[in-house]
Amino acid sequence: MVETFLAFIGRNLFLVFGLMAVGGALALVFSKNAVHSVVGFLFSMLSVAGCYLCMSAEFLAVAQLLVYAGGIVVLFLFVVMLVEMTKFKEKGLFQSQTPYALVAVAIGAAAIVGVFVSTWFTKSADVALTLDPGLARGLDVAKENSQAVSRGLFAGYLLPFEILSVILLVALVGAVTLAKKERV
Amino acid sequence: MNATPELTLLQTCLMAVIQAVCVVLFIFIIVPLTIYAERKVLGHAQDRLGATRIAGHRVGLTGWLNRGMWRMGKVPFLSYWRGLPMLVGDIAKLFLKEDIVPTKADRAIFLVAPALSLIASVVVFAAVSFYPGALFTFPKFVPVLGGVPFNGFITDMNVGLLFILGIASVGVYGIVLGAWASNSKYPLLGGLRSGAQIVSYEVPLTLSLLVPVVLTGTLNFNDMTRKLALETSPLAAPLMAVGFLVYFTCGFAETNRMPFDMPEAENELVAGFHTEYSGMRFGFFYLAEYINMVVVSALASAFFLGGPYLLPFGLHRFVQDWPVLGAPNALWYVVKMILLLFVFIWVRGTIPRYRYDQVMAVAWKYLIPFTLVLVVLAAALRFAA
Repeated sequence: MVETFLAFIGRNLFLVFGLMAVGGALALVFSKNAVHSVVGFLFSMLSVAGCYLCMSAEFLAVAQLLVYAGGIVVLFLFVVMLVEMTKFKEKGLFQSQTPYALVAVAIGAAAIVGVFVSTWFTKSADVALTLDPGLARGLDVAKENSQAVSRGLFAGYLLPFEILSVILLVALVGAVTLAKKERV
Repeated sequence: MNATPELTLLQTCLMAVIQAVCVVLFIFIIVPLTIYAERKVLGHAQDRLGATRIAGHRVGLTGWLNRGMWRMGKVPFLSYWRGLPMLVGDIAKLFLKEDIVPTKADRAIFLVAPALSLIASVVVFAAVSFYPGALFTFPKFVPVLGGVPFNGFITDMNVGLLFILGIASVGVYGIVLGAWASNSKYPLLGGLRSGAQIVSYEVPLTLSLLVPVVLTGTLNFNDMTRKLALETSPLAAPLMAVGFLVYFTCGFAETNRMPFDMPEAENELVAGFHTEYSGMRFGFFYLAEYINMVVVSALASAFFLGGPYLLPFGLHRFVQDWPVLGAPNALWYVVKMILLLFVFIWVRGTIPRYRYDQVMAVAWKYLIPFTLVLVVLAAALRFAA
C-alpha cells in the first residue's frame, strides 16, 4: 500500500518538478519587481535541476545547480539589485517589444509542440540517445554519467567543445570592448 | 559500496529520513558546542576565561576549589563547565526575542532569506560520508527495517563533490537577498561585499578541490577518500598539503569568518547583511555560519586529511595493515572536523581583519593562479603515475 504510493510519487516526481519550474518561470515573467523575477528564475533553475535528477542525469542536474543556480543567477541578482527599475517602467521600455516578443513566443511554442506531439505517446528512451555507444563501452551510463559525459566531451566531441569555449571567450572580449570607455 | 540491493522503496525512504534526522541532530549538537568553544577559546586567546558566570562560580565544592586555584595563581579549569548553561540561555533568547520586520522591507523575501541560508548549509550533508560502509545493521525484530544496514552516509552519489559545491553555492542567496530585502544601506553594502567575496572565492575553492579530484579521477565521496588514503602516490602529499591550506583559506572567506568577514565588518557596516534581522531569523543566519564552518571542516578533513582514514595527505597506505588504526573509523573523521573547527576559532582570535581590496586581491591575484599551478602539477603527477 505504502509501497505503491511511494512508487507512484517516484514516477511522477518529474511532473512535480516540471510544474514547479513552470511556476518559477511564470513568476519570472509576471512579477513587477525585478528581484522577485530573479528569485522566480532561481526557483525555476533549481526545479529544472530536480527534473534532470528524475531522469537520473545526476551530472547534468548538479551542473545545472553549480552553473545556473550558483553562478549565473547570482550575477543577475547582483546587477538587478543595484539598478532602479522604476525609471525604465515609466519610459515603457519593456512594453515596446511586446508584439515582437509575442510573435517569437508563438513560433517557439509551435515548434516545441510540434516536436512533442510526435514523441508524446511513444515509448520513453531508456538508454542515452546521442552518445556514441562505442564511447560508453565498459560504463554503466545510468550510474556513471559524469564519466560518460566526460568521454563524450573530451574524446568524441573535443573539437566542437573547444570551439564552444572559444565562442564564449569571444563574447567575453566583445563585452569588455563594448563596455570599456576609450582612454587616451 | 556495500552489496545490499534488495532494499524496498519504503525502506530506502525510511532510511533516508532516519539518517537525515541523525545528521541534523549531529549538526545541532556540534554547532552549539562550537559556539561555546568559541567563547572559551577566544577568551583564552585574549587572556581571560570566557563564559564562566552562569551556575555560580562561588558555590559548592568546585567553586571552593576554583577560588583556591585563583589564590594560588592558577587558571581554575574546574570552572569550564560553568559557562555551558549559557548556551541554553542564548538559544532561549534567540527564540523569545521579538521578530521585527521593518516596514519598508520586502516582506516575502525578508522572511525567506534566512531559511534559504540555513537550508543550503544543512542539505550539503546529504552527500557527506562519515564512514564508507555500514555503521551497524538493524536487528531482525525491528518492524520494517530488520536487516537493513545503517550506512555512514545518506547517499553514495556518483557526483557527490559537485553536489556539495552546487548546494553550497546556493547559500549566498540567503545573504544577498536578505541584505537587499532589508531595504537599508548598510545591509545592502554588506550583501554586495559578501556576494562579490563569495563568488570570487568559489573559484580558488573549487580549483583547490580539483587537486584531489585530478589525483583520484572520481567525484564520488567514498571513492575519493579511499583512493586518496590508499592509492595515491606519496609524492602527492606536499601537493595535497598545499591544496589543503588554500582550500581552508577559501573556506574562511566562504563562511565569512574572521580574517575575511567583510559582510559584517562591524566597524564599517554596523552588522552587515543581518543588521535589520532580529530574533530567530537572525539566529538562522548565525546557525548557518556555524554549520558552514562544520561543512568546510568536513570537506577539508575528507578530501585532504584522509577523512575516516587515520593519516592525512595520502600517507595512510603506510599504516593500512595496522590492527585498529589501519581500518577506517568514523571517529577519526569527527576528530579531524573538531580540530579544524578549533583552527577556525584560533584564527579568529589571532589574525586581524583584512581590508576589502586586500581580500579581493588575495583571491584573484594570488590564490587563483596558485591553485591553477597546483592543478597542473597534480595532473602531471597523475599522468606520470
